[in-house]
Amino acid sequence: MKRNNLIYFVVFALILSSCASSKKKEQTISISGAFALYPLVIKWSEEYQKEHPEVQFNITGGGAGKGMADALAGTIDLGMFSREIAQEEKNKGVWWVGLTIDAVVPTISNQNPNLEQLKIHGLTRDEFKTIFIGGTITDWNQIVKEIQPNKLTVYTRSDACGAAETWAKYLGAKQENIKGIGIFGDPGLTEAVVKDPSGIAFNNTAFAFDIKTGQKRAGVDVVPIDINNNDVIDTEEDFYQSFESVLKAIAEGVYPSPPARELYFVAKGKPTKQATLDFIKWTLTDGQKYITEAGYVPINQEKINQYLEKLN
Amino acid sequence: MLYRRVLFDKISGFWMVTTLVTILLLPMIIGTGLYIKALPLFEHQSVTSLASSSIWAPNSGKFGFWPFIAGSLYVTVLSFLFAAPICLLSAIYLTQFSSTKLIQVMHPVIDVLAGLPSVIYGVWGILIVVPFTSKIAAPFFNATSSGYSIFAGGLVLAIMCIPYMLNMLIEVFNTVPVGLKEASLSLGATFWESIKHVVIRKSYPGIISAFGLGIAKAFGETIAVMMVVGNQVRITRNPFDSGYPLPALIANNYGEMLSIPMYDSALMFAALLLLVIIMAINFIFRLFIYKTREQ
Amino acid sequence: MNRRKIIEERLFKLLAGIATYSLIAILAFIILVIFVKGFNALTFDMIIKTPKGGFYYGGEGGVLNAIIGSLYIAFGATLIAAIIGIPAALYINVHLIKKKRTQNTIRFLLDALWGIPSIVYGAFGFTLMLFLGMNASLLAGIITVALLITPIMVRTFDEVLSTIPIGLHEATLALGSTKTEMALKVLFKQGFSGFITAILLAFGRGIGDAASVLFTAGYTDLIPVNLDEPAATLPLAIFFQLGSPIPEVRERAFASATILTFIILAISLGARFLSKQYSKSNLK
Repeated sequence: MKRNNLIYFVVFALILSSCASSKKKEQTISISGAFALYPLVIKWSEEYQKEHPEVQFNITGGGAGKGMADALAGTIDLGMFSREIAQEEKNKGVWWVGLTIDAVVPTISNQNPNLEQLKIHGLTRDEFKTIFIGGTITDWNQIVKEIQPNKLTVYTRSDACGAAETWAKYLGAKQENIKGIGIFGDPGLTEAVVKDPSGIAFNNTAFAFDIKTGQKRAGVDVVPIDINNNDVIDTEEDFYQSFESVLKAIAEGVYPSPPARELYFVAKGKPTKQATLDFIKWTLTDGQKYITEAGYVPINQEKINQYLEKLN
Repeated sequence: MLYRRVLFDKISGFWMVTTLVTILLLPMIIGTGLYIKALPLFEHQSVTSLASSSIWAPNSGKFGFWPFIAGSLYVTVLSFLFAAPICLLSAIYLTQFSSTKLIQVMHPVIDVLAGLPSVIYGVWGILIVVPFTSKIAAPFFNATSSGYSIFAGGLVLAIMCIPYMLNMLIEVFNTVPVGLKEASLSLGATFWESIKHVVIRKSYPGIISAFGLGIAKAFGETIAVMMVVGNQVRITRNPFDSGYPLPALIANNYGEMLSIPMYDSALMFAALLLLVIIMAINFIFRLFIYKTREQ
Repeated sequence: MNRRKIIEERLFKLLAGIATYSLIAILAFIILVIFVKGFNALTFDMIIKTPKGGFYYGGEGGVLNAIIGSLYIAFGATLIAAIIGIPAALYINVHLIKKKRTQNTIRFLLDALWGIPSIVYGAFGFTLMLFLGMNASLLAGIITVALLITPIMVRTFDEVLSTIPIGLHEATLALGSTKTEMALKVLFKQGFSGFITAILLAFGRGIGDAASVLFTAGYTDLIPVNLDEPAATLPLAIFFQLGSPIPEVRERAFASATILTFIILAISLGARFLSKQYSKSNLK
């Protein structure tokens, strides 16, 4: 008989707790998705909570794909998304606003023996394409002149993510066409490249550069893109010394887009929760002032107005 | 008074049957659920062609699962080859040759390792196993490797399975009645002969059981393997190349599920494949034990 | 002839010894690396506090949310698994005691169930969640993990129950008790050690598994207050900490792993200890 009492109690407690929650749920915003947006959204949530302390945030990473999957499944309020929205996703009723801009940069170890040559000549888009999509380059001297033969290893992301898709888009393909060793997660990919002097990969700017120091992260270097295909990195193409200079190049449109890209919040249809809508509005207005200090590039005002329209 | 007791008996008896039946039906329910979600895939390709095709291009609607099945098989077989001999030898040593204190120390060690989350094995794999593979193991066999390979995956899996297999083997060897061994010794056999002919033979079903457990566990392990195996869709004989086991496919691409048509069906089909293959492996092992027990 | 036997024995003993000691060395090495890294990063804060914003990006706080989330899920799942699994195990040993073939078939099926990988449960749990319209939540996580650990519970308890001599069953029934009474009052008491072991083993499995909660329990920085909220779990906390660009945060992952390991160690030592305690007092 004691067991019965216990069962009644448990059921009662469950019912009671589910009643109490709905008010709180209205003030909780769940966000998941791209690692690329993660630092910015964290900063935003902190600042937003200063003015609106009753709002709670649940923010997780997991990659752009997870953000979209969760958003479409309805298990979170907003997904953080770091690549172009696909037609299939639009067919499923995706709603989005653009927030800011960042970029994917090609990375190598700073112990790479070909570093000097690469800094002088850079690599063109077609050469990147042969490396990442063609999969036929096994040695650096097939692609960079005047160097000794040394092995080349391509790394990419194994998880469904915005960085790989964006980089692939720049090369005219999709993430699944990138031929390389698949490493899980942004930091995993960074580490793989740091540890392997023969490696070449790509990273979000937030993972290749350190916002605190304003410089590249320890052990990482960036392969300059030879944008005008003249086999030399001219002064206009040489902007990789610091985080600030790269962001400037992205903002001015000098760095190609893709792999520069817009970052989005996605949801299934326009969000119904007032707290969510208020937050999004804030990010597009007051929130914009935190963008550069967090290591991102602002979108132009016209686009922002378009997105604000979407909120109404 | 009696009526109440009988009523209670009937009700709880009913509950007991229900729970048992539910549990036994569980794999069927799971299988059916996954099958239903995977149905859209079958409109374009048959099950056999899905499982045997090697072309994996989801954006073009082509789903060939064979590379993943092969990857899983390769990694599992490797891990078994690494783990089984060591576990067997160790279990024999611990139960027959060494002092009981050693076993007492080993038990908590094994328990800790069995409980360690797989992410940690993955990190340890990246820290130690991957460089080991690329700098020591691969050159030893005259191959080059980045370290992220089937070999690394097999090694990490072996380490993960060893605590379970060892635990089971120790228990199995411990249940052989001491009397049998003593009888064999008194008949003039040496210590080792007793072990060889008596202990091992008696524990045959248990040993097979433990191996089956290890294999099933290796086949289904997701996270640790995913971090070191390289995740490249290909079929290769070379263990120092990267591979892509089935569970890693599901975990990695969870994010793409709803963005590419039929990808979610594909991943559910992958889970279904996993379910079916593991149950088949378990079934075969159990059958084997059953047969040997009859003798 | 004798010579050969002796050499064979010596050789084998040597091999076995090498195998064992190198195994011990490897295993100890793993534990050492993890604990050393873990202790370095472990602070009292980590256990006591929940993460502040930006924890995974270098901010302050701890993993209390994950510790409590994991405990909630493990408790809930073990409860459900017990409610479903214990009666099932009792049924096998009480009502089916005469039907040996049925028993064997059922045990056969249960063993087959035992090996299903947690990611399959995770995928199924996710499908179920979508089907029922649930969010990634504590409840979804509990249900999925419960599915995962029920076979463990049934099997462990069943193994112990099957060692109880039939004579005890028959004596109890002869004295006029119903089958349920026999199950609850006699078998349960005799098999108590197995019951405790089953619960603890299932709990241990439930708390450390990542693949099953990956899709289903969601994640949050807060401690869930009711079943509909997402819950953080230790394995996922470790995973996310490892996924941070900041090295200090990655070190913290080891600390979280150490916490999880301690919980599991406590449980398994408890399980071993209790099972020894209670099995001594068998057949009193």
